[in-house]
Amino acid sequence: MQHLILVLPLLIPLYGAILCLFFWRKLGVQRVIGVATQLSLCAASAYLLSETDQAGILTTHIGNWEAPFGITLVADLFSSLMVVASAVVGIAVFVFSLRGLSNARLLYGYYPLLLLLQMGVNGVCLTGDLFNLYVWFEVLLICCFVLIALGGSKPQLEGSIKYVTINFLASSFLLIGIGMVYGILGSLNMAELAVLIRAAEDNHGLITLASVFFLIGLGIKSAIFPLFFWLPASYHTPPIAISAFIAGLITKVGLYTLIRLFTLLFVLNQDIVLPLLLVASGLTMVVGVLGAAAQVDFRKILSFHIVSQIGYMLMGLAIFTPLAIAGSIYFIIHNILVKTCLFLISGVVYRTNGSFTLKNLGGVYLFQPLLAAMFVIAAFSLAGIPPLSGFWGKFMLAKAGLEVGQFGLVATSLSVSILTIFSMTKIWNEVFWKKRPRTDVTADAAMAEINVADKPVIRLLHLPVLFLVLAILFIGLYAEPLVSLAFRASEQLLNSEIYINAVLLK
Amino acid sequence: MKTLILAVAIRIFIPIFVFFSLYILIRGHNHPGGGFIGGLICAIGFIFHTMTHGPKETSNTFFTVRYYRLTPERGQGFLLHKLIILYKNLFRKEEVRTGSEWHKRQFRIDPIFIIASGLFLATTSGVFSLLANQPYMTGVWADYYLPIIGKPGTPILFDLGVYLLVLGVVLKITFIMAEE
Repeated sequence: MQHLILVLPLLIPLYGAILCLFFWRKLGVQRVIGVATQLSLCAASAYLLSETDQAGILTTHIGNWEAPFGITLVADLFSSLMVVASAVVGIAVFVFSLRGLSNARLLYGYYPLLLLLQMGVNGVCLTGDLFNLYVWFEVLLICCFVLIALGGSKPQLEGSIKYVTINFLASSFLLIGIGMVYGILGSLNMAELAVLIRAAEDNHGLITLASVFFLIGLGIKSAIFPLFFWLPASYHTPPIAISAFIAGLITKVGLYTLIRLFTLLFVLNQDIVLPLLLVASGLTMVVGVLGAAAQVDFRKILSFHIVSQIGYMLMGLAIFTPLAIAGSIYFIIHNILVKTCLFLISGVVYRTNGSFTLKNLGGVYLFQPLLAAMFVIAAFSLAGIPPLSGFWGKFMLAKAGLEVGQFGLVATSLSVSILTIFSMTKIWNEVFWKKRPRTDVTADAAMAEINVADKPVIRLLHLPVLFLVLAILFIGLYAEPLVSLAFRASEQLLNSEIYINAVLLK
Repeated sequence: MKTLILAVAIRIFIPIFVFFSLYILIRGHNHPGGGFIGGLICAIGFIFHTMTHGPKETSNTFFTVRYYRLTPERGQGFLLHKLIILYKNLFRKEEVRTGSEWHKRQFRIDPIFIIASGLFLATTSGVFSLLANQPYMTGVWADYYLPIIGKPGTPILFDLGVYLLVLGVVLKITFIMAEE
């Protein structure tokens, strides 16, 4: 049975994409296929999570080639949590894209690409082989490249060139790192590598050097401090249905890999790597939030906040205690939901008001009180106001930091939270609260007309936002299940023997 | 590139390329060869045809299915109607061609369909072992031998999928490049 449930999160989107290819240019059929695929993917990943919850780590060896030789798929709690989060976000973005994208973009294969992207994300989370990890990253990135460039408007092409160039660089760093590890230790299976690295008597320096290559490669992909400049330059260019998914999920996948590799493999010389991560996480938070303060575009503010939030996730890895890693895991899941939700809200605002620039927006609170309320919940959750989900993540991280005496970092993280509230207040003031700027009356009248004509469409666009807000409220108000899952996931991560035994002795 | 020699020669070479690629595909399990290289070799002939005649002509000649359609009788089932069309088109060509109630239709096979079927075959080849509660993509083999192919099993399906996928991708690229 576990053979089936481990490959289902990969097979379902793949089959969905193949069926969409058969019905190329028939958007109605593709939509039906897409809905069916997303629902079954959600069900399959929820089942995977419940199985890993009960039965521990699941493994399957593709083609029945045993572990160090064949490719292994491994699902522990952390990876199944990621798979579930990506499926939830996938449903929301898919519903949004039913009406939130122009047909010209949909005709050129948006649906199959989105499904393949989801397959790539699930592949990165489930693989247990270093080279396979790289291949899944390429699957994911190629889908991202095409999605960002889809439609071919000028800012999109500019954004996608930046994205492609920097990510190719990151991939080559990753590949060099993999090559070095294979050259030193002679294996690519992550469980076997974990054994070999812990037993290594010499070559410690070389292994640490290889880990730095991984750190740089994955650091670029997940936008860590000195390597984040590409992100705010490219993430806001594509239409919202695309950038919401990419912004919500892809950088977190990089961070997932970082946490996986640095808890399982690169545990030597932690006195060199962890301080580096500490400094990087603090600077990522601060620089991201300061960058956001300077922006006047809804999406750009959110893009800079992605960078800032990445710092929190990295903070857990840098502190490296069970509580801290659990905090990181919780924070990653929370952030995937919240960030996608905020991006979708900016999409709804754009659809009803025709702009992303704060200067041209205003008065949304008056026309769409429900949307405003949902924005408040998501924004407060992002900032970490107590009953909402962001609070629990930050609380766990701050507590872990105080326990090991990292007062500076904790102080930084808390003051960055205040600055986050500042930026969210800025959006709130400009977009929702201030009076609609009276620049031209005709545009206003046109807007009123749109509101009447597109009512069902606008309602449909509200639906995924509402869904995500409910999910955020759920993991915030009833945090216990997710927190305990995060704790057990971090225990699994820190006790690598469980992972190693599950893969090698099966 | 309109040269008479190439234009005539390619008509003879296309079947050679196709058959040779099938040979390479089938021998690939134990010897050098396989789906990827087979698909590339199969595409060579069509690439040359596109170079001499243009992409429209290539897809008209090789990737268009022409058939004759019959308007359904009242009360006739959907499946029966399709089956009759299929049967008459395959085995009663003369009757169909001369019959007045048959209408000529054509259907263009876009390379994207070849890509999709290739992906579908390759993905599905791994599913059979899941049904037997084995890991994904474990080879499932039959007990008997077929002439030429040898022992049939799921790996040949996978290779066939790769063959179609590569063929489709190369054709798509060629057609797009040739149109520009």
